[in-house]
Amino acid sequence: MYAVTMEEFEGNPDRTAVSIEPIELIRRVAEARDREALTRLFQLFAPRIKSMMLRLGADQAQAEDLTQEALLTVWRKAHLYSPEKGAASTWIFTIARNLRIDLVRRHSSKPWVDLDDVELASDAPLGSDTVEQSQIIARVAKAIEHLPVDQRKVVELSFVQDLAHSEIAERIGIPLGTVKSRLRLAYERLRPLLEDLH
Amino acid sequence: MTIAFHPDISTLMAFSAGTLEEPYAVVVATHVAMCEACREQKKRIDTIGGAVLASAGEAAMSPGALDRLLARADDSIELTRETSRSKAAADSRLPAPLASRLAGGLESVRWRWSGPGVSVADLPVSPGVDGRLMLLRVAGGRPVPEHSHGGQELTLILQGAYQDRFGRFGVGDIADHDEDVEHQPIAEAGQDCICLVAVDARLSFRNRVIRALQPFFGL
Repeated sequence: MYAVTMEEFEGNPDRTAVSIEPIELIRRVAEARDREALTRLFQLFAPRIKSMMLRLGADQAQAEDLTQEALLTVWRKAHLYSPEKGAASTWIFTIARNLRIDLVRRHSSKPWVDLDDVELASDAPLGSDTVEQSQIIARVAKAIEHLPVDQRKVVELSFVQDLAHSEIAERIGIPLGTVKSRLRLAYERLRPLLEDLH
Repeated sequence: MTIAFHPDISTLMAFSAGTLEEPYAVVVATHVAMCEACREQKKRIDTIGGAVLASAGEAAMSPGALDRLLARADDSIELTRETSRSKAAADSRLPAPLASRLAGGLESVRWRWSGPGVSVADLPVSPGVDGRLMLLRVAGGRPVPEHSHGGQELTLILQGAYQDRFGRFGVGDIADHDEDVEHQPIAEAGQDCICLVAVDARLSFRNRVIRALQPFFGL
C-alpha cells in the first residue's frame, strides 16, 4: 500500500519521497481512528480544498472553515467510503464541494448528497486492492487541461461552479444542446484514461 | 436484468456533478441503482469531477488549523441515516433511492385516475423544487399519454414494458428525451406498465391546463 504517488498527484517534487495512498489513510481512520492518518490527510488535502473554496468565491475565513468541516466529515464518515465508489481524493473533494453547496443554498433542493449516501452504504471491503488512484486522477487532470477550451469550459462550469446545463448555456450564450454535446465529446476524450479504474 | 436504454452521458454527468433538479436526480439514481453499466459509467464521471476539483492548486492553511481539527476529531462515528434506509430498501422490491420515497412500495400507491387505462400518483419532492416526480400507470395495450410538450423528460420503467419507435422499454430501461422528440409509446399487452417520470414544473402546469380543457387527454 505504500506507494510513491502523491508527488505526481501534487506535482510537487519537494515532498517526502515515500507517501501513503489516501485510500490507505482513510482505511486507517475508519478502522483504527488513527489521528496520525488524519494529520496526513490534512497535510495532503487541506491546502487543495482551501484553494478550491477560494476559487469558488469563498473568503479566507469561509474557506478555512469549510476545509475544517470537510476534513472533519472525512474523519466521521471514513467508514462509509468504499474504493468501489471511486478514488479517495474524488470522495474527499466531493464532500468539500457539497459542504460549499449546502452553505450557499441552505434550502438546497438537491437530494444528491442523500442519494450518494445510499450508494455509499456498500459491503465492499475497505482498502481492497485498487489501481493507484492518485495516478489516475493526475492523468485525468492533465488530460482535462488538454481538452479543447470550449469543452474544458463546460466541464469546469458543471463540476466546479455547480451550474445546471441550462445555466451554462445561458452563461456562455450557446444552445443547451451544444452544452450537452460538448460534455459528451469531453467524456469520450477522457474515457480511455478511466478504463482501468476499478 | 437486461437494460437496453440508459441515460444520456450528459445526464449522468449532471447527476454526478449534482446539478440535476431533484425529480430528475431521483429517476437517474433509481436507474443507476438498477444498472451495473451506469454505476461503472458514473464512477468514471465522478473521477473526472474529482480531477477537475483537484486541479485548483494549493492555499496555505492558517497556523493552528491542524490543531483545531484534531481537537474536534473526537471518537464518535457519525451514524448516518443510510443504515436504516438501506434496511428499508432491503425490505422493498424497489431500488433504494425510490424506496426511501415510497415507504409502502408500489402496492401502497394512491393512484389518481387520469384517463382511460391511465392513472398517476405524484411523489413528494422538497419544497421549492422545480419539476415534478410522479408514477404513471398504463394498462396493457393502452397508449402512454404524452407527459410533456417540451423540456427534458426522464421515464424509467419499473414494471411491465412499452414500445415506441425507439424499441421496447422494459424494467430498468430509461427514456431520456429532449423536448423535440416525438414518440407514441404503447404499453405491452398484459401487465400494467408502471413508470417513474420526471418532468419540468412548467410543463406540468401546462399539463394541468390541458387537462382542464381536455379531460380525456394528457395528464
